[in-house]
Amino acid sequence: MSVPMETMESAAIEAFARRERAGNALAADADKVAHACLDMASRFHRGGKLITFGNGQSGTDAAHIAVEFMHPVIIGKRALPAMAVSNDPASITGVAAREGYDEVFAYQVSQWAGPDDIALGISPDGQCADVLRGLEVAGEFGLLTVALTGSYGGMIAESPAVAHSLIAQSSDPAVVKEIHVTIYHLLWELCHVFLEQPALLGPEVIR
Amino acid sequence: MSERESAGVRGLYPFLYAGPAELSEVLAEVSRSTVEKAHEIVRLRRTVGESMAGAVAACAAAMAERFAAGGRLFTFGNGGSSTDAQEVATAFSAPAQGRPLAALCLTSDVAVVTALSNDVGFDVVFARQVAALGGAGDIAFGLSTSGGSANVVKAFEEAARRGMLTVALAGYQGGRLAELPELDHLFVIPSTSVHRIQEAQTTVYHVLWALTQHALGARPRRSTAPGSPAATRTREHP
Repeated sequence: MSVPMETMESAAIEAFARRERAGNALAADADKVAHACLDMASRFHRGGKLITFGNGQSGTDAAHIAVEFMHPVIIGKRALPAMAVSNDPASITGVAAREGYDEVFAYQVSQWAGPDDIALGISPDGQCADVLRGLEVAGEFGLLTVALTGSYGGMIAESPAVAHSLIAQSSDPAVVKEIHVTIYHLLWELCHVFLEQPALLGPEVIR
Repeated sequence: MSERESAGVRGLYPFLYAGPAELSEVLAEVSRSTVEKAHEIVRLRRTVGESMAGAVAACAAAMAERFAAGGRLFTFGNGGSSTDAQEVATAFSAPAQGRPLAALCLTSDVAVVTALSNDVGFDVVFARQVAALGGAGDIAFGLSTSGGSANVVKAFEEAARRGMLTVALAGYQGGRLAELPELDHLFVIPSTSVHRIQEAQTTVYHVLWALTQHALGARPRRSTAPGSPAATRTREHP
């Protein structure tokens, strides 16, 4: 390789170090994370399910979130219903070819939505039109809407359709994703904290 | 591990097990826990950066060498790690900037995954694909938080037999992957939390991607700052 190993190592050190600011910034959003968990727990408590979606790398996050809730890593935590609608390439490509790519998530949300459900959309720059459409349609159906974005949150964070907007404080999509992973691990873990206090969540008790 | 984590959760939220709580009290506890975990991953990422920067750089240089010679990347993992494997493949093959590099995630083809699992067994689900698609100049990239996934271990054994470059990400003490002499590069995230391990692994593969691009001559996202040499944990290629 033409790039000297010392340069490569310096680049690695710098790359790890420049993640710290965004990582620490998440702590400042702790109250927002807590309130999102409370509202999500209330939906699960009423029997709702979680519907997740995102494009590209965020599609892998949508899948990760769904498996996190469906198959808990901590024994004794109940499985909670979740589905990543970006996981179905046949539906995605079918809807995209017929109705346009912006409709891929909105279409599937409208197929699956129940009034007690949660829609969680992920968009690192907050500008994904199909994620916004998915959240808007979810809002029309009465779902709780949660958005994970980055940069300055983009049009998704500004949308009145979004109830909980959690913004990773970085404009680098790789760093944004890393913060998102911590956020959704917290959403999962802390949802369970509220679910273990059902008296706080209203009269209907989860199945 | 799970019992230990479960005990940890009880320790963090003792009031949950001591009777009804006030909403404001629970919200405050949950906020406090969020702050604590946000700082925990920052500390872990710093530890990983300090101890593994040299190893990450060496691994990226080796990957770049394979790519430059026409090698391709095959990624694999189970559950949450399968979503990481998918992201690694997408990051290399369809980057928003930089040079696209051939990469495939071995969990992507549901027909192949279910056929192998149903007809042969889940343990061979990645190894059989590595055998069918991989060649001596290629790269095998597997993730396992425990380091104990049998299908990941078998895939690395097959990849090594074929002369592929092998790169593994694990957690805890590295599990069975730490006992695999065939591995060229192994990054063990020193944590016992599946969540923090996965978060730090995400940074490791993002930095591997950025440095691979760097080594291939793509412009770095930012200028590099001077840094001190870090301990290398990369094993020498035989």
